[in-house]
Amino acid sequence: MKIEILYPEICNLYGDIANIRFLKQSIPEAEIIGTPLQDRPRFLDEPVDMVYMGTTTENGQILALEQLRFLREQIAEHIEKGTNFLITGNAMELFGERIEEDGEEVARGLGIFQGIARRSSINRFNSLFLGTFDPGKAKDSGEPDAEPIRIVGFKSQFGHTYGENGDKDLDPLALFTPERGPGMNRYAEGEGIRINNFFATYVIGPLLILNPPFTKWYIRHQLGYDIRELAFEAAAMDSYNCRVEEYSDPKTGLYYWGGTTERWT
Amino acid sequence: MKRLKFYMALWCAKLSIIALKMTGHRGTDFPGRIAVKICPDFLRQAGVPGRVLGVTGTNGKTTVCNLLISMLKADGKKVLDNNQGSNTITGLTTAFIRDMGAGGHCRSDIAVLEIDERSSRVVFPLMEPDFLLINNLTRDSIMRNGHPEYISRVLTRAMPAKTKLILNGDDLIASNVAPGNPRAYYGIESLPDDVQACINLVNDLQICPKCHSLLQYTNRRYHHIGRAFCPECGFRSPKLDYTGADVNNEDMTFEVSHGDWKHRFRILNDSVFNIYNVLAAISYLSELGYTPEQIDGLLSKAEIVKSRYLVDEIGGYRVIRQMSKDRNALGSSRAFDYVSHQPGDKELIMMMNNLSDAAVWSENTCWLYDCDFEFLNRDNIKNIVVTGPRAKDYYLRLKFAGVDDDRISFVHDEIDSPNALRLYEGEDIYVLYGTDSIDLAEKVAGKAREKIEEKISGNAGRRAG
Repeated sequence: MKIEILYPEICNLYGDIANIRFLKQSIPEAEIIGTPLQDRPRFLDEPVDMVYMGTTTENGQILALEQLRFLREQIAEHIEKGTNFLITGNAMELFGERIEEDGEEVARGLGIFQGIARRSSINRFNSLFLGTFDPGKAKDSGEPDAEPIRIVGFKSQFGHTYGENGDKDLDPLALFTPERGPGMNRYAEGEGIRINNFFATYVIGPLLILNPPFTKWYIRHQLGYDIRELAFEAAAMDSYNCRVEEYSDPKTGLYYWGGTTERWT
Repeated sequence: MKRLKFYMALWCAKLSIIALKMTGHRGTDFPGRIAVKICPDFLRQAGVPGRVLGVTGTNGKTTVCNLLISMLKADGKKVLDNNQGSNTITGLTTAFIRDMGAGGHCRSDIAVLEIDERSSRVVFPLMEPDFLLINNLTRDSIMRNGHPEYISRVLTRAMPAKTKLILNGDDLIASNVAPGNPRAYYGIESLPDDVQACINLVNDLQICPKCHSLLQYTNRRYHHIGRAFCPECGFRSPKLDYTGADVNNEDMTFEVSHGDWKHRFRILNDSVFNIYNVLAAISYLSELGYTPEQIDGLLSKAEIVKSRYLVDEIGGYRVIRQMSKDRNALGSSRAFDYVSHQPGDKELIMMMNNLSDAAVWSENTCWLYDCDFEFLNRDNIKNIVVTGPRAKDYYLRLKFAGVDDDRISFVHDEIDSPNALRLYEGEDIYVLYGTDSIDLAEKVAGKAREKIEEKISGNAGRRAG
């Protein structure tokens, strides 16, 4: 199995790279490839089972887009034909229409989905996230009756993504359904983007470590690997179950208001 | 009208200080909050001391400030400082109010201010430091600070044009702040333990700021701190104005050179992190016009507050309280690295939980996966007691780092955690605590001491029997 991390030298914030280290610990034979900015992504020319990209800086977004912009059509073809992508944090914003800062456009995105990332140059947004992932959502999932999987994690970001023509553009593509905590923006009913096997989400954690049931599903169904047990699965499940209980408790606050942060009332 | 507001703010804040004293509250920034509420530009209107010295950065700014304050006081200067309060706008305002008389004039000759790096955007428009030292910009709380590149941008945008910067030239993120400002760089030429490849999980400057090719490090200390160059475009770490070299851990000294002088100074302890702090203070005083001999004399009189590393010895055991900043991957990585390299067997109590977060929401634990828990996977660390609200996350993270189950103990409440200590003969017990759990760590250390005393008296009883 081959897993490619795009631009790990810049897309490495908030522990996100540990998503792939966890996959490696769970699937020891997996080969992990890190592709730096100067190199052509390997998945374009050879079989790769999964492409991963994690959170980056605002400048990192621009640098990554400078490379990916010329590959836009090939990336769209791969998404169409079902290549696995897992995109976390603000790396998701690269695949929307454009990125704006304080109302000004700062970058054109790849236009894979009709989303506009609007961020502040000052305020950060921080929240917890509790939601569900529906394995049966995809038409060809082969498991229409599968139970939804609870998802937990964090959001810590400068902006949110809005549908170009309202959230009706984004909600049908949602990867997760929020139970507590916001979706793609304050008003959206969905969180993240799921187009075929392209999975993207603002939820960080790292997502795969914090959510062993989802990870097990992902490895089995997306990567086609018959995994019995994740690395240190018991410890991961214990932490996961505590977190689900904690986040489900209405007494647990969802937002962090320390410092200069965006306030939602 | 403006002056009226200023005096109203000053006097109300002064009254609040009296009220706080009467009710036994100290070290709070409440007076500053009142003053800023009444007069938002209080600091602009305040008469500042002759010189305003700022210190900012991610880690070590309190230590550098304390050193500077101590050395300047040893030189007979009357110093205004905020070391008893916060480093945000209200904390700084409180410090000024405490220093001012009823007429609104500062009594001190010089101000030494620890300035929260993110607060610079609200502080600098009101008060322009004459000098500002940036000791490093690394990952901190992701909720507040995001990432160091963002903080660099905040500082650059806010920087007053006249402020002279004193920058860690071994930190390419800090040293690139406000490139138009006058500046001096300090750094360390080479150290025996320097490496080229990064052994840390966090490495925030891997690409050349000019051409974006991969940087190469000739002398790396940790993370992105060290000397680097770009093999593609020739970009390199800045030439140092103050160069530290030849660290001698035996007599605890190192050499600093600047221009035509070269002098040996004492270091406070042998961690690289603290050598940078001392070098920062030496460079700062030199920029203020002190000679190396004067600095040496003042440094020998400097008193260092040891609130972040406290040692108690009991019957061959040592109980050590080691600050390991919560929600700060780099700060905790430095602490883990230091602890893991200390000789002898040890047990750790891991309680860096952010208790304020636990009270109102649930701590964002992403930072655990940026932090080098792998350093704790060593044979001489016999037992790690994980405890507090995030104990299960610590346990998972330690498993992820490869630490065996038989070297991890789980205790729900911090205060009970010493019960899980195994107390191997002559070992060190480290209590790793965060900024939020200083008092609790003291209690836990106290209980650990009791456990040791029980064991010692039990052994003595058995021998007598």
